[in-house]
This record gives sequence, structure tokens and C-alpha cells, in this order.
Amino acid sequence: MADKRGHVVSLRSRMLCSLCKTGQLILINILLLSLSQAKVDRPRGVSISKSSLYKPGDSFTCFDNSDTIPYSQINDDYCDCKDGSDEPGTSACPNGSFHCTNAGYRPLTMPSSRVNDGICDCCDGTDEYSGETTCVNTCREMGRAMREEQERMKQLLQEGVKIRDDYIKQGKDAKTEKRARLEALEKEKDEAEAKKNELENIKNEAEKPEKEAKDAHQKAWEEEKSLREAEKEAKKVEEAFAELDSNADGIITTSELATHPEFDKNSDGQVSEQEQQEYLEDHNSVDIKTFQEKVWPNIKDIIKFPEPEKEESAKGEATPPGEEMEEGAEFPEEAEVAPSPETKSQGGEDEDLGDDDDEEEEDYDKDDEDYEKDDEDHEYGTDEKKEEEEEEKMPDYDEETKVLIQAADNARHEFTVAEQKFKDLENEMNDLNHFLTLDLGPDDAFYPLKGQCFEYTDREYVYKLCPFDKASQRPKNGGSETSLGTWGKWTGPEENIYLKMKYERGQGCWNGPDRSATITLHCGMKNELRNVAEPNRCEYTFDFETPAACTAPAKQSEDIHDEL
Amino acid sequence: MALSMRSTVYILNKVLVVGVLLSYVASVDKSNFKTCDQSGFCKRQRAYKPDQSPYVALLDSVQIEPTKMKVQLLNTQNQVRLLLEVIGLERNMARVKINELNPIKPRYEIPVGDVLIGDPKQDKIEISHKDGGSISLAFQSNKIVLQSKPFRIDFVASEHPVVSLNANGLLKFEHLRLKTVTQEEKKEQAGGFLGGLYSWFSKPFRGDEKQEGENQEGQGAEERPEGQEQAAEEEKEPEAKEPEEPDMWEESFKGHSDSKPNGPTSVGIDISFPGFEQVYGIPEHADSLALRSTKDMDPYRLYNLDVFEYELDSPAALYGAVPVMLAHNEKQTVGVFWQNPSEAWIDISHNLADKSVLSKVVDFVKGGDQIPQVDTHWFFESGIVDIFIMLGPGPADVFKQYAALTGTTPLPPMFALAYHQSRWNYNDEEDVSNVDANFDKHDIPYDVIWLDIEHTDGKRYFTWDKSKFPNPEEMVRNISAKGRKMVTIVDPHIKKDDHYKIYKECRDLGHFIKNKDGNDYDGWCWPGSSSWPDFTKPAIRQYWASKFAVEEYEGSTLDLHTWNDMNEPSVFNGPEITMHKDAKHDGGWEHRDVHNIYGMFVHQATVEGMVARTGGLLRPFVLSRAFFAGSQRWGAVWTGDNTGEWGHLKVSMPMILSLSITGITFSGADVGGFFKNPDSELLTRWYQAAAYQPFFRAHAHLDTRRREPWLLPEENMKVIRQAIRERYALLPYWYTLFYKAEKDGGPVMRPLWVEFPSEKGLFKEEETFMIGDALMVRPVTAAGTQGVNVFFPGGTEQYWYDTDTTERVFGGAAHYVKTPLDKIPTFQRGGSIIPKKERIRRASNLGRHDPYTLVVALDRKGSARGDLYIDDYHTFHYRKGDFIYREFIFKDKVLENKNGNPGSTFTTPSWLEKVIIMGLSTSPSAVTISSPKSASTSLGFTYDSVKMILTIRKPAVNIAEDWTISIQ
Repeated sequence: MADKRGHVVSLRSRMLCSLCKTGQLILINILLLSLSQAKVDRPRGVSISKSSLYKPGDSFTCFDNSDTIPYSQINDDYCDCKDGSDEPGTSACPNGSFHCTNAGYRPLTMPSSRVNDGICDCCDGTDEYSGETTCVNTCREMGRAMREEQERMKQLLQEGVKIRDDYIKQGKDAKTEKRARLEALEKEKDEAEAKKNELENIKNEAEKPEKEAKDAHQKAWEEEKSLREAEKEAKKVEEAFAELDSNADGIITTSELATHPEFDKNSDGQVSEQEQQEYLEDHNSVDIKTFQEKVWPNIKDIIKFPEPEKEESAKGEATPPGEEMEEGAEFPEEAEVAPSPETKSQGGEDEDLGDDDDEEEEDYDKDDEDYEKDDEDHEYGTDEKKEEEEEEKMPDYDEETKVLIQAADNARHEFTVAEQKFKDLENEMNDLNHFLTLDLGPDDAFYPLKGQCFEYTDREYVYKLCPFDKASQRPKNGGSETSLGTWGKWTGPEENIYLKMKYERGQGCWNGPDRSATITLHCGMKNELRNVAEPNRCEYTFDFETPAACTAPAKQSEDIHDEL
Repeated sequence: MALSMRSTVYILNKVLVVGVLLSYVASVDKSNFKTCDQSGFCKRQRAYKPDQSPYVALLDSVQIEPTKMKVQLLNTQNQVRLLLEVIGLERNMARVKINELNPIKPRYEIPVGDVLIGDPKQDKIEISHKDGGSISLAFQSNKIVLQSKPFRIDFVASEHPVVSLNANGLLKFEHLRLKTVTQEEKKEQAGGFLGGLYSWFSKPFRGDEKQEGENQEGQGAEERPEGQEQAAEEEKEPEAKEPEEPDMWEESFKGHSDSKPNGPTSVGIDISFPGFEQVYGIPEHADSLALRSTKDMDPYRLYNLDVFEYELDSPAALYGAVPVMLAHNEKQTVGVFWQNPSEAWIDISHNLADKSVLSKVVDFVKGGDQIPQVDTHWFFESGIVDIFIMLGPGPADVFKQYAALTGTTPLPPMFALAYHQSRWNYNDEEDVSNVDANFDKHDIPYDVIWLDIEHTDGKRYFTWDKSKFPNPEEMVRNISAKGRKMVTIVDPHIKKDDHYKIYKECRDLGHFIKNKDGNDYDGWCWPGSSSWPDFTKPAIRQYWASKFAVEEYEGSTLDLHTWNDMNEPSVFNGPEITMHKDAKHDGGWEHRDVHNIYGMFVHQATVEGMVARTGGLLRPFVLSRAFFAGSQRWGAVWTGDNTGEWGHLKVSMPMILSLSITGITFSGADVGGFFKNPDSELLTRWYQAAAYQPFFRAHAHLDTRRREPWLLPEENMKVIRQAIRERYALLPYWYTLFYKAEKDGGPVMRPLWVEFPSEKGLFKEEETFMIGDALMVRPVTAAGTQGVNVFFPGGTEQYWYDTDTTERVFGGAAHYVKTPLDKIPTFQRGGSIIPKKERIRRASNLGRHDPYTLVVALDRKGSARGDLYIDDYHTFHYRKGDFIYREFIFKDKVLENKNGNPGSTFTTPSWLEKVIIMGLSTSPSAVTISSPKSASTSLGFTYDSVKMILTIRKPAVNIAEDWTISIQ
């Protein structure tokens, strides 16, 4: 063994002798290091588990069998093997790897390009042996810190697992309860459906006589109404005749029309003879009969009655809501929208305030106005209708019909109640089914998070996460909420998909994708949103701590190496 | 980073959101930028086509000095006289200056030292012939023939007329004049002559007298009386009235009015290149390397502009301007450099030479062959005609000539040549730390991480956003602990904020550029309302430089370097997104006079600050977007805000080549494209191309998806990692090339015709190029490319070796090269030796003592040469000779390492790890090494007889010692 060491060293020194001045320094260092490492009998940079692959002897075959070289060429700072296996302890091979034991801490295997590059990567400093850099062995401190941290994590995990177990129980109970409820509902639903159908039949039966009676009543009323209208018309003809027959001789002559400017068809200021004759259907004069048959249909929409009192009040009501109101409505719209962007743009500071938010505000403003306008129109319209209806209101149903209606109403009501109950049952069952198919993590451990929301506030925004529902963001200083996505799926790595959640299809981004949020779950004592970032525009990342993510360690303690 | 006036507008003012959406789709909004028809002087100059030039050289006015001839030129139409100076310069160069004989006030000339590194060394000229109509001057082996009527000058080198001025009679020199005052205007003004003067100096005289006087201190104050005198003289001479055209005294563009107090001041002349079919240069344009005829389009424009999503195949102006043009044919290369920083337009047409005229100049023009000729027509908005004629005769000679005038790129610190990782923006310290860690996790080397504008406190440069970067110094130290560097952005627009120290100081000290009314110029940029320091004034550059001192720039360390963006300058609400031309600079000059040089002064001031903060010890690294002739002296530039599309990858080659041959050695394009999201294939191919371009930086817009290599599919990540590693392995070669570029001004990235000047078929080649004289690269620039046809120059005598397969290819033909995703077609030239470092460290600096590998590619005769430059990677000590320069010569099966810098005491522990000899046809029996110090020792080796590759194992000699390796 001592033999082999000496061999390696002398080879090195031969190689280094031909080097420049600093070669001497390197040599001394290598000697020193060699001495200090005398207890380990494997080439530099090789782990104990691989040491058997470097059997001292005359030759060494590369792991990939690409070449066989003299054993002395191992770690001679020249890369002979394509797979880098001959230089575990130098930086000579581009694809080599270097192992440091890091006694007291955890061992490290790293690219051999990090050997002798002036940076202490191994806490035991074994990666820097050229003498250029002096590394302090920090493994003991790091090991202590690591073990403390591991202890802390272990504690945390233990506590967390306890809470998680409780979560699991809650989840399990909830599922059991809901499954039972679902089963119960299945039955109820069948009953309710039968009841609903039965009542529907009853209702239909009750509605038949009701309809007949109502139709008869309606028909009678229609007839009555047309009679009344005919009477009204006749009365109007008489009135018109009387109005036009200014000398009350029972005959209207053409000249009598001249006093009514409404017959001035071409608006030249007078009712010409031609116009007069046109309206009287080429008669010079008409009696009331001819008037009713021939003339009335032409003039009934034209003729005007002098009604001084009524006229004023009518005008007063009719005009203002028309044009003036509409024009007036436009002013506030412009006045409100215009100043807001101006005041914003002067700041220049609030670049980060999303454009989308601003746009939205504008939209809201407009919508509000539209609503107001609609409301006004609506009110105005209904008033008119009411008046008309009052005039020609159908008389009440007779007692017999009323009884039939009452019976039908009762049947309808009972049916509606039954139908509603059935729908409610269906909805509840849908909710239950949705819940039961929801993936709440292994053993439903995430169950207690459903229905809760958690917030995180940074410099500008308040972020909200409602697990299995949605993620959102709102400006700290007020303003509307922006959706960052609704519950999508678990997106952790294959070995544990429950390490990440994805919320998708949030509000669209200007010139970008829909917003989305990926939540990374960490084991913690409390449910807490710890951090939010936006590494890509409109793609958010949340860090969320929850006991639900505290899973028992798979094989934690193996990290402390056997080489200790 | 970044620009886009549009996306800014969207940020600043939501009212315009709709406009943003509309224009986003259409990329560049051309209507933001002038066409020739929208530019008064361009329209006038381009329309100028006299039957015969009205200019006559008055031969009886000739004054001959030892190195100079002065002649008056008379414009026979308006009787205005110009003074022509023809100056002989050393190294086959001449200078032609034309200015007004008696201008009523001075016209702008760049102070010597700003673009020209000094007064160019003049050389003797002699009159060799003179008759009534012409004068011939002899200087060195060249001839200059001046013809009187019409005026023209021809330059003859090696018996070939190569450059002609005014051969097409397009000299049009708009002399300074007084505004013609109409009767009505006269009444309004104080009085005829004085009123005219007022319009001349254009000052509205709003300020009180005292202030006026202060502003006009120094130069300005002296000039004024002189100007008045001369103006008075001119008045006496009856001057033929020239037609007044609209736009002469005022013009407007998109609602911006240009007050043009000096009226029309443009200068134009045609420059012809008889015997040439191709011209190159005049960057920056997103266009081909060989310049196109502009007959059916606008002229090529030089006006530094911030163009949002620029278009390809366009003569439109971009971020920088170098008014240098080269012409090349099989026998000769010549160049012209017109030193003028005002806006310029250049028309180009490809024609045949007029032999009857040329035969007067030189009598070779016989026979029936037609002579090609490229005619170019240049016009600048102000200033003078100041043209340097560089007569070659070869490409390398022209590079040296231009370098003698404007300087070379100083050797950058090694890290600057390595890979740079940037993004708008790495958001905070944690983000930076994660990106840094991911490079190590994926074993991808990188040297520099960059922070764009978001790192600042509200876009106040030299400050930090303290909530995102609470401990900047610690952050920088964490990065530099791994041998890496950081770059932060520092732009020239200064936020108007009384609480911002830089603003307050600049305002109080009067450092800002003034608007036409004499108040601090005010415009919009990233921070909102801003002002711009007047970098044309040396004292203000000094002030700026002082801000980079480590104690001044809080959070900085010597490992923090700088990036100047938006220095065209970009003014979001200005005409063409830049500064108003009637803004006022130091000395009363208008922005119009100095526009194209402003960005370079920002770059210069920043570099000077970076040097000063280390007491002149450490080499600076500063990247700039705007540039001008001479910018090479200040460092790197890049092609601005490109787009993540294949076309933009492809155009990066001609764009960088055009910069390279006009002195700007150190340039690159944003890897992946600044705008939009490149797909994995494009991004991968882009890395591969950029690994072989001088400045290698990935960068992306704020709105793009993250695209650091490990975010791509693993296959792509591995290919990208390999491309970056190849760059690192070749850093010794790049570094040596940059060392040589500082010495001789030659480009590092070269068009093929520079290396193979007599091969006509290569004159338009821009997809394949050379790195130095030894590596030929043909990057893949199209999607799904299965293979490319590569033409191998040098004739059948020339060997080439595929650097991946070592396969030997014969020149003089095209070969199909398969290009799977991991293939970058790269070939080492037979006859060359390339030094490499095959150990790839996390950052270049960590491998500075690593051993070397020499790759010897034998030529047909079995020989090769190469060289290697080594220094400490980062200080100026090399200027004192502290560097190693080795020359490697392989001849007759012996590789010799010779000392090229014998006086040096610089040493390196680096040794020779491996020698690879490609093209060795016979199997050696032994390989030995010997040196003056030690006896001959035999070395291990392997020989591949199929590939004819000899690999010599571990010579283990110091790379900086004399030794020979012999192959038996």
C-alpha cells in the first residue's frame, strides 16, 4: 500500500518537474495532502462505494471500456477515458465527477471542473489542493447546523404529521358523512321525483277546467270590448262632425275645413281648395253618414280638437323625458370618464398598476350609467301602460271560474314545492358528487383547506388563495379583485404530484396569456401563505405552508454518511 | 432592454391602450419615422440632378503646402465660394475637406480627439502635372487628379482609379445665409439687417442680457462678431437668389416643429467607386452585408433612433451610425469615412463607369471591357464635407488605415468575451441568486448576470429599488465570489425629481441640454419627465464619470459593470422618438449638428468613469446601444431590440459583419431576440450562432416568458450548454484575436472576402463568416434545417477540417453538411493552429491557470501557424508589456513554440496539455519534446490513420516557454 502511494506521488512529481516554477509549490502541497490523507487508500475524488472499481495494479480499464491505461495514469491530470473515469480527482476530464467525503457533514459529488478552480466547494476543502486557494474545513460547523436543522425539521414534521392526521380524519369523516348523505339522498330523490310527477298530473288535471272557464270569460270580454270600441268610434265621429260643422247645419262644407290648419297638407299656410276637396273625397259637402263612411278614415289621425287645458299639461309631460333627457344623459358619461386617465397619467409612477384594472373601472362606470338610463326608460314606459290598462280592464272572473282557478293555483303550488324539493336534492347530490370526486390529496389530507381563504400582502397587492376554488389579487390601496385562476389540478413532479397546485384561466393579460398561479406546498404548523412572486409576466407562484403537506419522511436519515 | 415607446405609452397613459393594441400586431410603426420625402434636406438633395455641376475649381487660387493643397470652388449659379483642402495622409490616405470660404458663422466640426484619435499624420504631396483644366498630385504611390470644370476629384491607386468625388456633379453645399425677409416681416422686425441677424442666431432673446452673455462664453462669444463681419461682407456681394423651398426655415413632422433657425445647411456630394461592384458598411441597418441599390427605395439613413420592433431588409435608420463605406473587388479594397455626426442619407446605384472621363485620369482604360462602378450619393443635414479616402490596397490595409484615424477596440477583460445572461428583469436578489445557482446546477458556464431598469428606485440610475435589492453590495459579492460579474443599466435620461441627487446637481450646474428657448430640455422616457446631460461637453463627461466611483455609486463594487441604453437619445415624446433637432448643446451647437455622436459620448463618459474608479488599473466593460465612428474605443455595442424570429437571427450575421468591418469589433445581438417568445429550436440555434459572434449575451423583454437554458426541454438545454462550452473552450483564441484587433484594427468576426479577397463568388456571402483567419462558421438560421450547403473558399489547394468530426474537406467547392440540432457547422482552416482550453469552468476567470490544447490543422504542405496571447485577464498591465505572446509554427513535422514578446516578465502556470494534429498522413514512430532547458523526452501519442489525427499526450511543458515537439 505504501508502495502504491509512493508510486503515484513520484509519477506526479516527474510530471510536475517539467512544469514552471509554481510547479514546485504544487508538488509540496500534493505531498502534504498525500500525507494527511494517508489513511485513505483510494484515488483522490473517489467515494468509498466506488473505491473497489479502482483496484491497484498494472492497468485500469475505463468504466465504458473505451480504453485500458496504465494504473499510473489515474489522476495524472490528463484525460484518457472518454467517460472521465481515469481522472476522478482532477479537472482533466470534461465529464468527470469528483467526490468529497466531507466528514462531519454530507458528502458531495460534483463536476470535476470544480476541482482546483479557486472556490471551496467541499466543506472539507479537498477539492482545492493546488495551493492556489486555502480552504478552511467547515464540515463540523455545517454538520452541526445541518443536524440542528434536521432536528428542527423532524420536530416540525412530527407536529405537522399529527395535525395532518387530524386533517385526514376530518377528511375521512367528511367523506363518509357525505357518502352516507348521498346514499340517503338517492332514496329521497326517488321519492321526491315520484311525488313531483304525481303532483304534476294533478296540476295538469286541475288546469284543464280552469283554462276552459278562463277562455270563455276572455272570449266574452273580447266581444264586449269590440262593441265598446265601435261605440267609442261613433262618438268620436259625431264629435268630429260637430267640430268641423262649425255652423251646425248638419253638413260639412269644404269651406268649413279651411279653419283647420291641420288639413294644410303642403304646409303653405292655408288649406287650399284642392286640399279641402281631397279630404272630403271630392265632395263639396258631406252629411254625417258620408262623413263617417268616406271622410273619417282619412282624417281621424289628422284632425285636431281645440283642448286648451289638456294641451298644456300633455306637452309638459311628453317632451322633457324625450330628447332632453337623452342628451343630458351623455354629459355625465364624458365628464366622468375623461378626467380619470388624465390625473393618472400625470403621476407616471404607477406603471405597475395594471392597465386592465383601469380599463375595468371605466367599463364599470359606463355600465352603471346604462343601468340608470334603462331604469328611467322603464319607469316611464310602465306608467303609460298602467293608464291604458285601467281604461280597458277585464272584469273579474265569475265565482265559478274563481273556484276553478283557486283549485288550479293550489295544485300548481303543491307541484312547485315538490319540484323545488326535487331540484334541491339534485343540486345537493351534484355538490356531493363533485366533492367526492375532488382530489383532496393523499388520504384527503387537504380537506380542511377547502372553503377557507388565505391572504398574503406584499408592497402593492393583497394575494388571496382559496384552496380548490381560486387565487386572486387586489391592489393594497383598494380596487377591484383580479382573478389569477380557478382550481385546475395538482402539478407536482411525478413522484409526488401533491407538492404543487395549479390555478388556471384567470383574467387575461394584455399582450400575454391568461393569468395563472402555481402554488408550492410546504410543511408547516399553520396554514399560511408565505410568499408570492411573478417570475413570468402573469404567471404567479405562491408558497403555501400547511400541515397537510407534512408527509412522513421517506428515508431522511441516510444523508448522514456512513463514512463518518 | 428595452424600449418601445409604445409599451411605455401604455404604461404611462392608459388612454392610449387601444392604440397600443392596434400597433402591436404591425411591429414597427413606420409612420413614427421620416421617409426621405418627409425630410426637407433629403428631399432637396435627392432631387438635385444638375446636367453639369455648377461648381468650378478656381485653379488660379491654388495654394500648395508640403502636405496640403487649397483651392477655391465657385458655385457659378449663386457665386458662393467654397474652400477645398486636399491633404495627403500617411498610410495611403487622403483627406478632402470642403467648407465655405467665408461662412457667416462656423459650421460644426467634431473636436479632434473625440472621433479622430489625433490629428492624422500628414504626408507629402507634390504637383506632378498641371494644365489649364486640371492638377495632378502625387503622394506615396498614388495620384489625385483635380479637374476644374466641372469640378471633380479622382483618386488613383496602383494605376487604377478607385474613388471619384463629384463625378456625377451632385456636390450641393447649402451655404449659411440670412433668411429672406419679406416686406411685411421687415415691418414687424426692428430693422432690415439687424432683423436678419436675429433670425440667424435664432435666439428669441427672451432671457435677460446677462444670462445671454453667460451662455455664450468662450468660443461662442468670440465667434459672434466675426460672424457679423462676414455677414456684412456677404451682403455687399450681389448674390444670385436661390429658390426658396418649403422646409428650408421650418419644418414639422407629426406635430413636432423644428424651428431651423439656421435655415438650410445640408452638404452633399457623390462618391463613385470605379472598378467596383460591391460596397459595404455604413451601419446600422437591418440589411444585407453587400449594400443594395436604393433606386427603388429610400436611401440608407444614418440617424440614431430607438425603433420599436424594427423591420428587416430595410435601409431605415437604427440605433447607431458609422459613416464609413468600403468598396472591394478582386484586386483592391478602398474605403471612405465622412466625419460628420449630423443626420445622413446615402443613395447607392450600381452602374458602369464612364470610360471617356476616366481615360483622362489614367490611360489604362483601353480595350472593350466595360468597367463596373458603384455610385453613391451622400448628404448630411449640417456640418462640412470632411472625407477620408482610404486607399488600401487590401482589406487589412483599409482596417489599419481606419484604425489609424479613429482607433481600435481595447482588449476587453476576459469575462466580457464569455457568456452573459440578461433579462428585463431579474426581479430581486433572490431571483438573481436562483438564476446563478441554476447555472451551476445544470453545469452551464456563465460570466455575467445583468440587471435592467427595474433594479433602480423609480428609474433613477445609480440607485437601487431597496425593497427588491436591499443589499446590492452583498449580492454583487455573492456573484463575484464565483469569479463572475454583474452589470447594471445606467441610461442618460435623468428623472426630473428635486430629491434625486443626479438631477439636482445637473440642474444646478447647468449640465442639461437646453431646448430652443434656453430652458432645460424636457422629455419623456422610462422615469417619466426627464432631462439629458450634455455629454458633448468634456466637463460634463467628467462629472458623469465621477458618479461611477465605488463610493459614489452606492451598492457597487469593482465587479459591477455598466450598460448604457436609450442613448440615441430615446425621447418617447420627441420627434421620431428622439430629441428635437433645435435643442441646444454646449457652444451653442444645435442637437441637429451632433445627434449621431451623442450616444458615443455617453458611452465614453461611462467608460472613463469605470477606468477612473480603479485608478486606471482595471479594464472597463460598458455596453452601448447607440454608437458612432470611434465607438470601438469604448467597448461593446449590440444590435438593439430585435425580435425572437428566425429572420432576426439570420440578419444578426450581416449586421455584426457590417459593424466589424467599420471598426466596431465587439458587437452582438440579443440571443433569442428581445421581443416575443422564440421556440426551443430557434433559441437553441440562436445560442449556437451567438457562441461564434463577438458579444454573446442572452436578453429578453419584460413581457416574454422566461427562457434560461434549463427551462427548455433537456435535449435543447444540453445542446445550448455544449454551444456555450465551445465558446469557453475557444476563449484563448478569441482573446488572442481581440489582442490583435487592438493592435491592427482588423475585425475579429470577418466576412469571407476579407480572408479570401480575390474570390468574387464570396463578395455577397453573409451566412458563412470567419472568426479570425482560422475558423469558418456557418450557423443554422432556419427552422427544421436538415443540412446546409457550405462553400469552402481558398481553392482546391485549401484544406478545411470539420471541428466536430475532424473530417477534411477540400476548398473550391460547396459541400452539403448535415445539421442535426447539435451541429454548428464550424471548420478550421488548413494551415492554422488554434489554442484552446478544454477544461470548462463555471466562469472564465476560474480557468485562468488551466492548461492549453493546441489544435493544429495542416495545410497541403503539412504546415500550420498560430499564436496565443496571455495576460492577467483584467488589468491594464498588458499595456506595459506584461503579457505573453507565443507564436506556434508547425513545419516539417516539428511544432515550435516561439516567443513573440521577448521583453515580457509575465509568467503563467499554464502548461500544454494536449496537441491535436489534423491531416497528418503518416503514422509517427515517436514523438519527442525538447527545450533549451531540458533534454529530449518522448511523449505518448495516439494516431488515427483513418481520420489522420495525431493526438500527443500531455507534453506538460509550460505554454510560455520555448520548446519544440518533433514527430518521427
